[in-house]
Amino acid sequence: MSALGGPAQTGGVQQPTAIGIVGGLVLIIIALAIAFFVVQMAGLIALIGIIIGGVLVAFGVHFVPVGGAPAAMGQAPGIATGVAMLAAGAGLAGLFGGAWAAEFGLAVALAGGAVGGGLMMAITCLMVNVTYIFGMGIPAASGKVDKDPITGDTFPAYKSQGTEGHGLPFISYVGGVIGGTLGGLGGTLIYLMLLGVYEEVLPVTLNASVEEIAPVAVSLAGIFAVGMFLVNAVLAAYNITGTIEGPHDPKFKRFPRAVIAAAVASAVTGIVAIMLVGVL
Amino acid sequence: MTVKVEVGAGGIPHNQILIYGLVGSLVLIYLTYLNVIFDTTVFSFLGGLGAVAALVWGTDTIKHLCSYGLGTGVPSAGMIALGSGVVAMLLATTTGILAPIVALIVSAIVGAIAGFLANKVVRMDIPVMIMSLTELAIVGALTLLGFAVMVGGTFDFLGLAVGTTTFLGFTVESYAASVIGGSIVAVLFMLGAIAIQHSFNACLGPGEQQDRTLMLAAECGFLSMIVISVMSFAFIGFIPAVISLVVSVAGWYYTYAKYIELSKRDAYAWLDAKPILEPKGGA
Repeated sequence: MSALGGPAQTGGVQQPTAIGIVGGLVLIIIALAIAFFVVQMAGLIALIGIIIGGVLVAFGVHFVPVGGAPAAMGQAPGIATGVAMLAAGAGLAGLFGGAWAAEFGLAVALAGGAVGGGLMMAITCLMVNVTYIFGMGIPAASGKVDKDPITGDTFPAYKSQGTEGHGLPFISYVGGVIGGTLGGLGGTLIYLMLLGVYEEVLPVTLNASVEEIAPVAVSLAGIFAVGMFLVNAVLAAYNITGTIEGPHDPKFKRFPRAVIAAAVASAVTGIVAIMLVGVL
Repeated sequence: MTVKVEVGAGGIPHNQILIYGLVGSLVLIYLTYLNVIFDTTVFSFLGGLGAVAALVWGTDTIKHLCSYGLGTGVPSAGMIALGSGVVAMLLATTTGILAPIVALIVSAIVGAIAGFLANKVVRMDIPVMIMSLTELAIVGALTLLGFAVMVGGTFDFLGLAVGTTTFLGFTVESYAASVIGGSIVAVLFMLGAIAIQHSFNACLGPGEQQDRTLMLAAECGFLSMIVISVMSFAFIGFIPAVISLVVSVAGWYYTYAKYIELSKRDAYAWLDAKPILEPKGGA
């Protein structure tokens, strides 16, 4: 019974089962049909936006260098915490960054969310390296590749024996920022889509003006976005199982599975969020 | 690079805890409907107790699931539980008296789909995955519903979304001064998440005992209840909020004292300096 790397770790990537893909497609189509039935075209567009947002979150998570407990002891590269926690941090920072800008239109809000998530990861990665290098006295060395794909730095001479590498090499830093940007973008997209639906339908059902129901609409969209974000992030975390160094890690090639899972999960949770206005 | 998650054998069977947790939580949340019948809010604290029942059950489920080794740490299971639970719970509040039942059904569907995706698409291939994520989603939904009742006095959407505020001596309805409009749900979300993530994460390892882990789960639940009862002063009357506070503090003190007692018992059991046995086949 081991916690990390528990499920069968075969050499190649295990492909999704046929029943998984077919079942997933059926669920997405059902969800889209319900969305069209409940809020017509606006609901359909909102759900498609939510699915794209969820896919961005799951894809972005794979870029983030996650080290877990071994990284805390300087025995593996990456940030010393779990995938779900890092994804939640980057996504929520992005969500807050984008939410305040919602009134300036879709493009500005999405950019705000992306910059917020990317900035959060950039600061985290920087401080992680400051701690590693100046606090723990260890150089950055990847265990998965011999040469940094961007800077061309070589790693084997700096890698301590018995470790899988340590610190946060440049490629991992870049991956972290890309991951944070995608996560913040996805989280904000989910939020904006839901906010659009609620601001359109809630004033009619509650018989109040848009300004009056704004707190309810913002709060509902926000908490739904957080919930969906966490479901997608955890599914991506299950896909990674443990640690990942960034886009150069062999585990990165697993991302299609997480993208499919996130699309279906976002469709299902998204339709529940949209049905709220249909039931009310 | 492996970390052992060890769970103690023995204790109450999981299915028994499942039934106690599910029935207890549903009954306690439904009992808060007495608020509507007697037109009061003194029964709000029962919602919090329902949430604690669900949390104890959820902790046992997490223990069950994480013994297979997820590779992502224990808290991620709590995160997906509350994430899928909050979605189902908010939809359920719009169905009036049926809310707890609808929360159960919708969260079960969402959780089962998440488990299906985890096993068939992400290829975790863990036998208990679908069942565990279904249970965890229900736990998340019932926990949040119980906490929402405790802070707002009702599980009806309009009751949670419309508050009252006093303006120039007149009492007016306000969407901002409500449980949902004031984003109190976000705080409930984190309080529930902390309560469900912590206990097994803290207790796992050699010598893990079920009664100690579950006692810590109840303690975390009551700790969250204390914060929620303080917030409920803004939404339900003064006397009902004081009752909630007293119940939470009393419950917390009892479970905390009990937890320390059980910890001392288990620490004493190690006094003979037994070597830590490596599991067969290595970690």
